[in-house]
Amino acid sequence: MKITDLLSKKAIKLGASPKDKNEAIDILVSLHEAAENISDKETYKKGILAREASGSTAVGEGIAIPHAKNAAVVKASLSAMTVPDGVDYEALDGKPSNLFFMIAAPEKGGDVHLEMLSRLTVMLMDAEFRNKLLSASDADEFLKIIDEKEIEKYGKEEESVEAKGEKFIVAVTACPTGIAHTFMAAEALEQAGEKLGIKVKVETNGSGGAKNVITAAEIAEADGVIIAADKNVDMPRFSGKKVLITKVSDGIHKPEELINTVLTGDVPVYKADEAAVKAASSSGEKEGIGRQIYKHLMNGVSNMLPFVVGGGILIALAFLIDTIAGNAEAGDSFGTVNGVAAWFKGIGNYAFNFMLPVLAGFIAKSIADRPGMMIGFAGGYIASVGATFNFHDTDSWVSAGFLGALLAGFIGGYLTLGLEKLADKVLPKSLDGIKPVLVYPLIGLLLVAIVMCAIDPVVGIINSGLNTFLDSIGTGSKIFLGCVLGGMMSIDMGGPFNKAAYTFATVGLAAQTDASFEIMAAVMVGGMVPPIACAIGTTFFKSKYTEGERKSTVVNYILGLCFISEGAIPFAAADPLRVIPSCIVGSAIAGGMSMGFGCMLRAPHGGLFVLPVIDNALGYLAALIVGSVVAGVMMSLLKRKKTA
Amino acid sequence: MITKSYKIVNEQGLHMRPAGLVAAELGKFQSEVTIKFNGNDVNAKSIMNLMAACIKCGSEIEIIFNGSDEQQASEKFEELYANNFGD
Repeated sequence: MKITDLLSKKAIKLGASPKDKNEAIDILVSLHEAAENISDKETYKKGILAREASGSTAVGEGIAIPHAKNAAVVKASLSAMTVPDGVDYEALDGKPSNLFFMIAAPEKGGDVHLEMLSRLTVMLMDAEFRNKLLSASDADEFLKIIDEKEIEKYGKEEESVEAKGEKFIVAVTACPTGIAHTFMAAEALEQAGEKLGIKVKVETNGSGGAKNVITAAEIAEADGVIIAADKNVDMPRFSGKKVLITKVSDGIHKPEELINTVLTGDVPVYKADEAAVKAASSSGEKEGIGRQIYKHLMNGVSNMLPFVVGGGILIALAFLIDTIAGNAEAGDSFGTVNGVAAWFKGIGNYAFNFMLPVLAGFIAKSIADRPGMMIGFAGGYIASVGATFNFHDTDSWVSAGFLGALLAGFIGGYLTLGLEKLADKVLPKSLDGIKPVLVYPLIGLLLVAIVMCAIDPVVGIINSGLNTFLDSIGTGSKIFLGCVLGGMMSIDMGGPFNKAAYTFATVGLAAQTDASFEIMAAVMVGGMVPPIACAIGTTFFKSKYTEGERKSTVVNYILGLCFISEGAIPFAAADPLRVIPSCIVGSAIAGGMSMGFGCMLRAPHGGLFVLPVIDNALGYLAALIVGSVVAGVMMSLLKRKKTA
Repeated sequence: MITKSYKIVNEQGLHMRPAGLVAAELGKFQSEVTIKFNGNDVNAKSIMNLMAACIKCGSEIEIIFNGSDEQQASEKFEELYANNFGD
C-alpha cells in the first residue's frame, strides 16, 4: 500500500478556503465522490460526522485527518486539501488547521485504515514535508512530494497490508485455451477460501491475458501459492514461497483440499532457478513426463494459434479477391495478381512467418521460463528458414517446418535449463544480475544456433533424397505416386517432406504435360485434407478436442478449402502421434483417388477457388471428401476424451 | 521506573481516537512515558508518535513510565486500558 496509490489526482484540492469545519468536510467528501471512492456521499459523510462528534481529528501541527470506516466506501482511499489561511477544525491545541487528509476505509478493510493513518502521520511529523505540501503548485507536484517522502521513509518496497493473524493465499489459474476452465477454477478457489475463512486472491491467465494480477506485495504477504494450470505461468515472482503446482482441473474439483494442503502440508518452497528441477521432482505420479511435454507443447500451440488463424484467413481472402478479379488461371502468381489480393497475401504471410518462432519460443518459455523464451524464438526462426552453417548458399536451405520448430523449442528450453545450472556452478554469485540479461541470451543463442544449424542440413539431405525417390517412382504406378505425394504433404505440413512433394509438383508443371497436371492435383488435394480432417473431427467428435480446437472448426474448413495446410499444425503439434498418421492416411487416399480419377490441375495453388479449372472436378471433390473424412474419423477415434 | 506489558485488544488497534486519549491523559503527568513496540521507542504523550507506530489489534506492547509521578501515570494507563481506551 502506498499513499500515492490511494490518493488520486481528482481527490486533491489545493488552496481551498472553507469558512468552517462543516464546509471543510463537505469539500473533502466531494473530492472522494469525484474520484469515485465512495458510492453514497451522504452515508459516508454521516460516518465522518459521527467520528468528529467523538473528538476532533485535528491532531495538531495544523494537520487534520478525518476518517470513516463505512459501507459507502468503494475502495480504501484518501482525499486531500490544503487551506493556506487555515480553518478552525476544533483542534486539540485550538489552532487552525491547514493540511487535510480524509481517509475512506471499506467496512471490511482489516487494518488498512490503521496503516494509512500510520503512514500519513510518520510522514507528516516532518515539518519540512508539511511546508512543501502546503506550497505545492498543483496536484501532480503534491503527489510527487508525497511519493518522494514515502520512498525515503519506506523504500520502494510495498509494505504488507495484511493482518498477521489472517491467512492469505494467492493462486493462479490457467488452461491452454483460457476460456472456461481458468475461470471455473478461479471461482471454485475463491468460494472455497470464503468457506474456510481464508482470504484467497486468484489471478486468471485466460485468453484475454492475466486478470486480477497478483502484486509483488501480495506475494510477499501470502502464506502460500497455488498454481492450478495446464500451461506455464509466470513463475519467478513466486521464488521463495511455498508453491503448490497442480492441474487446472484440481482447482475446479478439489479447491478446499488444495488450500488446506498449501497451508498445512509440506509444500516445497519454489526457487526460480530450479524451475525445471521442481517440475521434474514434484511430478511423481501426478505429473508424468508425458504431461510435462504436453504442457510445454500446448503452451507453444495456444500461442501460435492466433497467427495461424489471422494469417490464414487473410491468405484465403487473397485467393478469393483474385478469383473475383478473374485471375484464377494465373498459375504461379495466383493470389497476388490483383493489388489488393497481393496485399492481403503479403500481410497473411507476415503473420505466418511468426508461426514457427512463436511455437518454439513459447515451448521453450514453458520449459525454462523467461530466459528460455528468446532462445526458443531464435531457434524456431532458424528452423523455419532452415539455416545451416553455410550462409553463402542460402538457396540450398530447406525449412525444417513445424517439426523442426518443435525440436527447436524443446532444445532451446532444455539448453537454457542446462545453461542455468552450469552458470550457477561456474559463475560467482556476484554475476547473478547479468545472467538473465547477458549470459543466457548470448550463450543460449550461440548454442541453439549451433544445434539447429547442425540439424538443418539433415533436413536438406532428406529433402534431396526424397526428390530422387520421387523421380524414380515418377515413371511407375500413377496411383501409388499419388498416394505417396498426398501422404507426404501431411507428414510435416511445411517441412522437408511437404516441400519435396510440393516442389516436385510445381517444378513438373513447367513441362505442361497431362502427367504433371495430375501430379499437381494429387499434391494439392493432399495438402487440403489435414485442416478439413481436423474440422470434421471437431464437428462430429466434440468430446475428443479441446475447447480452443473446437473453436477453430470454421477457420479450418476455410483454410483446408483454400489449400492452407498450416491450419492443421496446431492439432498436429499438440498430438503428433495420433493426428499426423491419420492425416497421412487421409491425404494418401485423396492423392491416390485424384490420380485414379485423372484429375488435372494447372495452377500450383488456390484450393477450391481453382476447382472450375480442374479437369474432372467432381472426382476431385470426391477424393477430397473421402480423404478428409477418413483422416478426420481416424484421428478422432485414436484420440482420448478430453477431461480438462 | 515502572515497566508493564499489555496486549492491545481494540479491534482497530491503537487508532486515532484511543491514541489521542492516551496522549491527552498521559500528557497531564510529569513522567516520561515510552512505549516499546516493534523495536521502536514511541513517545506515548504524542498522538502523532502513537499513530505513526501503527499498533494493531493483538500487538504486545511494553510501556515504561519514568519520573516523579510514574506510579499515578501507570495507574491512569491501566485504567484507560481496562476501558478499552473508550472503544
